Formats: sequence, C-alpha cells, structure tokens
Amino acid sequence: MEGGAKALAFQQRDIGGKMDSEKTKDIRSTNIIAARAVSDVVRTSLGPRGMDKMIQDSKGHVLITNDGATILKQMEVIHPTARMLVEISKAQDIEAGDGTTSVVVIAGALLRACQDLIEKGIHPSSISEGFAVALNKAVEIIESMGQPVDLNNRQQLIENAITSLSSKVVSQHSDLLAPMAVDAVLRIIDKENDTNVDLRDINVSKKLGGTVDDSELIDGLVFVDKKVSHFAGGPSKITNAKIGLIQFCLSAPKTDMENNVVVHDYTAMDRILKEERKYILDLVKKVCQTGCNVILIQKSILRDAVNELALHFLAKKNVMVIKDIDRDQIDFISKTLLATPVAHIDHFTADKLGTAGLVEEVNAGGERKIVKITGCPNQGKTVSILLRGSNQLVLDEAERSLHDALCVVRALVKKRSLVPGGAAVEMEVAQKLQAHSREIYGSDSYCVRLYGEALELIPYTLAENAGMDPINFVTELRNRHIAGERYAGLNVKKNTILNMLEENVVQPSLVSISALTLATECVRMILKIDDIVLSR
Amino acid sequence: MSQVSILGNREQGQDVRSANIMAVQSLSNIVKSSLGPQGLDKMLVDDIGDVTITNDGATILKQLEVQHPAAKVLVELSQIQDREVGDGTTSVVILAAELLKRANELVKNKIHPTSIMSGYRLALRESVKFIQQQLSLSTEQIGTEALINAAKTSMSSKLLGAESDFYADIVVNAMQRVKQVNSLGEVKCPIKAVHILKTHGKSSKESTLVDGYAIEAGRSAQGMPTVVEDAKIACIDFNLNKFRLQMGVQVLVQDPENLEKIRQREMDVTRERVNKIIDAGANVILCSKGIDDFALKYFVERSCIAIRRVKKADLRRIANCTGAKIVVSLADFEGDEKFEPSFLGLATKVYEKRVGDWDYTFIEGMKETRAQTIILRGANDYFLDEIERSIHDSLCVIKRVLESNLLVAGGGAVEVALSIYLDDFARTLGSREQLAIAEFSEALLVIPKTLALNAAKDATDLIAKMRVFHNAAQKADDEQKKELKHSGLDLINGKIRNNLKAGVLEPAMSKIKSLKFATEAAITILRIDDMIRLAPKEEEAPRRV
Repeated sequence: MEGGAKALAFQQRDIGGKMDSEKTKDIRSTNIIAARAVSDVVRTSLGPRGMDKMIQDSKGHVLITNDGATILKQMEVIHPTARMLVEISKAQDIEAGDGTTSVVVIAGALLRACQDLIEKGIHPSSISEGFAVALNKAVEIIESMGQPVDLNNRQQLIENAITSLSSKVVSQHSDLLAPMAVDAVLRIIDKENDTNVDLRDINVSKKLGGTVDDSELIDGLVFVDKKVSHFAGGPSKITNAKIGLIQFCLSAPKTDMENNVVVHDYTAMDRILKEERKYILDLVKKVCQTGCNVILIQKSILRDAVNELALHFLAKKNVMVIKDIDRDQIDFISKTLLATPVAHIDHFTADKLGTAGLVEEVNAGGERKIVKITGCPNQGKTVSILLRGSNQLVLDEAERSLHDALCVVRALVKKRSLVPGGAAVEMEVAQKLQAHSREIYGSDSYCVRLYGEALELIPYTLAENAGMDPINFVTELRNRHIAGERYAGLNVKKNTILNMLEENVVQPSLVSISALTLATECVRMILKIDDIVLSR
Repeated sequence: MSQVSILGNREQGQDVRSANIMAVQSLSNIVKSSLGPQGLDKMLVDDIGDVTITNDGATILKQLEVQHPAAKVLVELSQIQDREVGDGTTSVVILAAELLKRANELVKNKIHPTSIMSGYRLALRESVKFIQQQLSLSTEQIGTEALINAAKTSMSSKLLGAESDFYADIVVNAMQRVKQVNSLGEVKCPIKAVHILKTHGKSSKESTLVDGYAIEAGRSAQGMPTVVEDAKIACIDFNLNKFRLQMGVQVLVQDPENLEKIRQREMDVTRERVNKIIDAGANVILCSKGIDDFALKYFVERSCIAIRRVKKADLRRIANCTGAKIVVSLADFEGDEKFEPSFLGLATKVYEKRVGDWDYTFIEGMKETRAQTIILRGANDYFLDEIERSIHDSLCVIKRVLESNLLVAGGGAVEVALSIYLDDFARTLGSREQLAIAEFSEALLVIPKTLALNAAKDATDLIAKMRVFHNAAQKADDEQKKELKHSGLDLINGKIRNNLKAGVLEPAMSKIKSLKFATEAAITILRIDDMIRLAPKEEEAPRRV
C-alpha cells in the first residue's frame, strides 16, 4: 500500500489548489477514470477472439492468460476504486466462475454512462437510483429469455461448457475438456435435489508432459506428486486392492519426552537390533493380517512416517506403499475410497479398509510417474481430473479454463436456466431498456436509456476483438433485435449474425445476471463516493 | 484514455507486439549462424567461468539466461523440441521467429491478428498433411543404409561431422541392440539403455561401443581379483560400515573390558552381514553406500570384487539387467537376518579395465536385457561434452526412425516443397487467411536460405533453382519428374541434388513436430497484446514512522 498512498498523495496535491466545491466533482471523476482504465485493460481479452496478456510478476515469473479475474488479480492495481473493479471480477469468479471479463467491461461502460449523466447535471444519487431501476428491469428481461435446462440433457450442458472454453488458449481442445467438466460435475451431484456443487469434490491435478489431449477424467484417485515407494522393490500394480489409510508411523517408536536407551553390555546391542526388527515386523504383520495390500501413509513431521526396514518388509509381503500423503488430502481420499483413516495400529481392522479395482503406477512422460487408483466402489461422490500439457504456461491456462467450465456447469445446477451467448442477451437488454426508458418519467428515464446504451459495448467489443467492423455489426444486430429476433447474436467464428440458440452458443443465465448485478452494484457504490480520506 | 496505475509498467497493442517480436528476432539471430552442416559454434562462458562450446540450439539458449518474457517462450520452445524430438532445436527457433516477423508485417498492414492466427493454423494443418502424404518415405522404401544416413545427417552439423561414418556406426549399432518389441507389438528404443561415458585422452576415433554395462568405479581394494567369470552379483543398498547404534541410544560402560567387547561387537555385526552375502554365493558386490576398510578385508579374503559408492541409478539399471534384487535390509520374517541366493543377478563376466586415467568396471553378458555403453574419447572436456550432446541427438533421431519408420529428405527439401505447395494452396482461398498462408509459405524458406548462407553459397540463386525443381515436381505427371520433390541443397558444392539419393535424411516426425511447435509458439506470442511487468518487490519495505 506504500505505493498506493504515494499515488493518492500525488492526486491530492493536484487538486489541493482548486475550489472546495470542485473537489468532490474531481474525486468522483478521478474515481471513474481510474476504474474505467481497469476495464480498458481487460477489454481486449473479451470473447472467443480476445487477445492474451503477458504478465511478469514481481518475482519475474511469466504468466500468459486471457482470464479477466486472473489478469486483474496479478496486476497490482493501486488506486482504491480501481481495486473495487478487481474485487467484482473476483466476486464473479466465485459466484459464477465465468464472465469475469464481461463484468469488468460492463462496469466500465456503465461508468462512462455515469460521466455523461453527471455532466447533464443529474445528481449522483438519482443516477444510482435510476441504475437500480434499470437493473431490475434487465434481470426481468434476462429471466424471460431463459430456456429451462434439464440436467439429464448432457449434450446441452456440454454446449454451455464449450461456449465458456471458446475464448481460451485451449479452445481447440474444448471437445475434450467440456464433456470432462460436465461429466465430472454430473457425477458428484444428485441431479434432482442439489442446488449447489462443492467443487472441492473434484480434484484437479496437473502433470507436465504430453499434450492437453492426454488429459483424462479418472473415476477414483490420482496422485501426481506422490510415488509408489520403490525403495525396497515392491509392486507397482495391484488389482483388487484393499487400501489402508493410516495416520500412524511404521517406524521405531519414540516417546514424547526426550529419551535415552542406555546400553551397558554388548549383548544388549544385539537385543536392540532384534527388538527393532521385531517391533516393525509386528506392525507389518498386523497390517497384512487385515488383507490390506495398499497402504497410504500420512506425512509425519515428528519422525519418518515409514522407515527403511518397514518398507523392506512391506515390499516382501507385496504391499504397495504410497507415503507422504498430505493431511488435507486425507479427507478427499477417505471420501473417495470409503476408507476410514486409522490413527493407531490397534484400530486397524479389515472394515476400515477401502477397496479399489486397480492401483497402478503409470508412466507419464519420461522420468515422472503418477499413481492411479481406479475402480472404486463409491461412485458418484468424488471424481479426479488429470490435466496434461506440454509446458507450464499451457498447463496453468488449461487448469484455469477447466475451472471456468466447471463453474459454468455449477452455475446451471444452481439456476437451471440458460440464455443465448454471443452478446445476444446484452443487445436484447439494451434494446428493451431503451424502449422502456420512453415509458417512464424523470431522471430515471435518462439513466435507464444510458444504461441500455452502455450495454451495447459488449457486442461492440466482441466484434472489435474479432477483427470485424464493429459499427456495422452492432447496428445490424440492434435492428435484428428491434425486429423481434430475440436470440440473434454475433457468431465470431463465422463473422455473421445468427440465432445463437440454433448455433448452440449458450451460457447459464446465472452468469449474465450475476455479471449485471455485480457491475451495477459496484458502479452505484463508486458513484456515492465523494471524498477520499487518507488515514495513516 | 487514461493509464491505470499499477506498481510496474505496462505496454499495449502494437508496441508490445513489436517489442516481443524484436526480442524473439534477436534471439533467433544468435542461433542463426549455427544452423546446418556448415554452421559455426558458439563459445559460452557462464557466471562462474565454465566454458561450453556448442552449436546445439537448445544448449545455447539454455545457457543464455534470457530476460525478456517473450524470448523465454522461445527458449522453452527449443527445450520442448529437445525433449520431444531431440534434434532440430535450432531450426524450430529460427522458424518461429520468422513466422512472427512476417506476422508483424501483416499486422502493420491492418490485418487483424486473429485472421493471421487462423491462417497460420490452416497452413500448419495443410503442411502436416502434405508431409505425411507426399514427402515421407518408409525405411523399407529407402533401404538398410537409411538408418546410418539419418544418423549421419544429424551429426553433419556437429563437431564430429568429419567422423560421422565412424560414429553413425556406433550409434546405429547401439540403438539396434537395445531395440525391443513390447507386448503390444510397438517398437521401443529406450535411449537410457545406452550409457555414455566420457574419458579424455587419445583421439575421438578411439571411442568404442561396449556390449554391456560399464560403471565409472574400480575395485575398492587392490587385493581383489580384476576379473570374475560367471559373476553372481549382489546389489546392496545399505551401509557396510562399522555398525552404529541409532540416535537416542547411549552406551555407558563401567568396565574397560566391556568397552573393547562393544567395539568388537560393532565390527562383528558387519562381518556377519558380509559373510551372509558371500555364503549365498555372491562374488561381485556392488554397494551404493560405503564399505569400511576393515569390511573390505573380508571380501578380499574370499576373493570377491566389491565396489562401493556405486551410483544409485547405475545400481538400479544393473539390477534390472542382471535380474538381481536390490537389497535394502537383510531382515527376514523370523526377525533374523538372511541373504537369499535368489537376490543375486547373473553375468558372464565382470572385469576391471583402465581406460585413460580412470578405472572402469565392465559387466558383460547380463542375463535379462542388453545394455550398451559408448565410451567416448577426446582431447578435452569441452570436446567430450559437445560429442556427448551430438551423440544424444543422433540417438534420438535413430530412435524416432526405428519407432515411426518414416523419413523425409533433408537439406531444405521439405521446406521448399511445402512453400511451393502452400503458395498454390493460398491462391485457392478467397478469405483473409490467404495472406497469412502466403506469408507462412515464405517464412518456411528461411531454413534453406540460412543453410545456404552459412555455407557461404549464393542463397538467392540456389533457392530460386530449388523452387523451380519443386514446382516442376508438383505439377508433373510422370514419375521421373516427381522424383524432383526430393531436391535439396548440396552445401559442399553449392548445387541442387536429390538428397534422398545422397543420403541426407531426417525423421518425418521431427519435421512435423518442429513445424507444430514453431507455429504454436508463434501464435502464443502473437496473441499477446498487453504486457504488464510488475516492479520487483523491494527487499525490505521502508518502515513507517
């Protein structure tokens, strides 16, 4: 915040010389300008033909993305109002997961409308009220455009996901990633009753190597950074696995206090050696008695979770050992495998074991190996996705894109309705609001009209980014909507205006509604600020 | 429009595109002069003064420590090419830079980057199709010397180009001996089964291929035999040092006599272990950890070879090849210690030999699979390092040929053929992509041009001739003229010849992959229209008073 304070101090000096009444006006307009600048940053990334940003962070790492939320999160924006825009992009990411760029662009467009309205002499509070009226109307219009969604219609869901992926670097893989996202979500929810999806039940892991095409949906578990311990040999493939999830250590015991074993005699040395062997052997035998043939061992900070001797015995008994499982993974694992984590050997019984059809170590390009656990009996509660990519940049971007696709499907579970994409919604709302503005009186009428006009920035930007002539396309699109073609939108790939529902370019209503709501609320808040006070 | 205030600086639009492309261009200029058989080497001195002499694109770029983020993308590109293909790391960078340069020109002429990108994608798809259908030949069509020729082509650009006959033989033999066919009928050639050892001294011609595995370690004690026939190998992965009690155990002695006994016992624990191993029949003991001098005595007494501090990776590979089991502990299920004879691996002969200044231990006639070792000789370390890189490249090439079985003619033949084909293809398209495809076709010519330039030949003249030949080949109906499609550069005489007959061959896979990678990288950079550099965080934030 040091830099932020400096920048503000600078601005204050700037306006210090002016009259007091001028000051509030200036604060408002600097706020608006700062916020609009943020929206201009991401504007070129909107849509399927949007461009990417390259960001080099303070440590020198490079990131290439066109995800609005990611860009804004990485850019360290200083101005406090500009930060509000960053916040709404984040909020959109959490709420809908997609449309993070649009929400910022809409907010920018609305702010520009505010500038015009303020110049007309309308009081900011009235503008704020007017925008609230417009928002209500807009939400009403979007809801009337919504098409009901049947979660059993897999194809329809996939089309939604494809639309959200179309703007990403990985768009050429959308026919692989979109079904993956849809299947993953469908598997973990109850189609009839669930109104939300816990995305934590979908474990997305990344592994460098191969191409995005090699990514897969795994019914079970996958460990990318854990290896089967081959210290003492041991199997790398087990069928009909009985999996034990243990939180205790398979190594020589240690008391809580600092301890000492004192040896007086050389015969005692032999006994120590023998006792240690016996102790470990006992543990291993107890483990094997339950029929367990795969052990997942939680990482321990106090001592080695499993020592060499134990690995040696387990390998001899043909038990697969996967060690160093993180504590926060335990939950997901036990949910997937239906295995109860066991904290002491005495409680390690056969009923605590999870089962799986196959546990195997798979080669994943060169040296690296991954462990897959598949064929778990517990279908429908968790699922894992393994992403592959030829370099870290692509891999990271694939992960972000997949997250967006998952969120889109989640948005449909939350609110089972979808609307046409390709700026059809924005144009329809814009046109209806402008018509509506002629039916109401007072400053509201002005506000609603400009609110509508502002939304036309979305189709304008889409066309601009795709290298089309924006003025022609926007005016034609407006004509079509006035003529009653409610679902007409820009098809950026074919460079024409088409019925988006027929083209299967669809997105969840929730994304559009939440984008409009968040943007409007943010703008109303910015409008109401008339002074910035720095406190130390 | 106002600037958004951030901690750092930001470039946008055409500025950033030009800056990125400029950075990429300068990077490609660095490696340009090392392309091809007549390419020159670079000497790189790093920050601690280590010298590398190479003309391998990936190695040069890795050493450069590039700062510019867009240039980093290119460095990564050559790294990927190295990992996936192993060869063609220079050409992929030059091609990507050329594609970007031409894209930038198009953008300046008011063509939207998205149209250029889709044009490039289209051109790439057509090129791959054309290579697969028209230009590639299977090894059966060319004959047995194909492998040798492919190896020679990949070496021709390197330091050992002069002795390529000699090395090609070694490389091809090595790869063919480790070739396996797995249960699915796929041919697998594990590069790692070929072990490369470097020893300086003598001339590079003295390099040899050894059928077997060699490790860079000699016997641990002079009293041991130098040769063991019918070796039974034990692979040990625990210390054969004097036994020490674990942490937390204190030895408290009241009686000095007891002290001596405890010392004795410490040694006896190890002796018992050694005896158990030898009693099981082992006569070669490879240990990845230490063996105490007093323990060596036991091995000498029983005339076994014992080698300590064998590298873990070597140990694992030897265990695999001989059928031995790596033993981490002698403990058995009765709570006692035991060494089973089944842990032993078999080899017909294990012997120690002195090569140059170092002792090597060779293991021959291993039971399970065949491993190969290439011992490289050479005047100095830089030379050896460079030879190792070249051998690695050639091994990769042979692996690709053996696995995919498809070859194309080298010497710029593919690039010119594609260029002519794409030029014609562009004219059949009525959309904005046409211009981009035409530029793609032009960009491909950078490879033969640079090849000719580096060989101090008249590039313009040669390229013009080649284009005529390839045009004739693609328009022709009769078989004889069609053969012209393999016309490529003869860089020694400065002429055009049939490179297929001349034996200049490259795996088709490597060509296709490098086209793909170069285009992908160009598109990645082209997509960027904004660059934000955040200021590096200060070490310590100034404290407020």
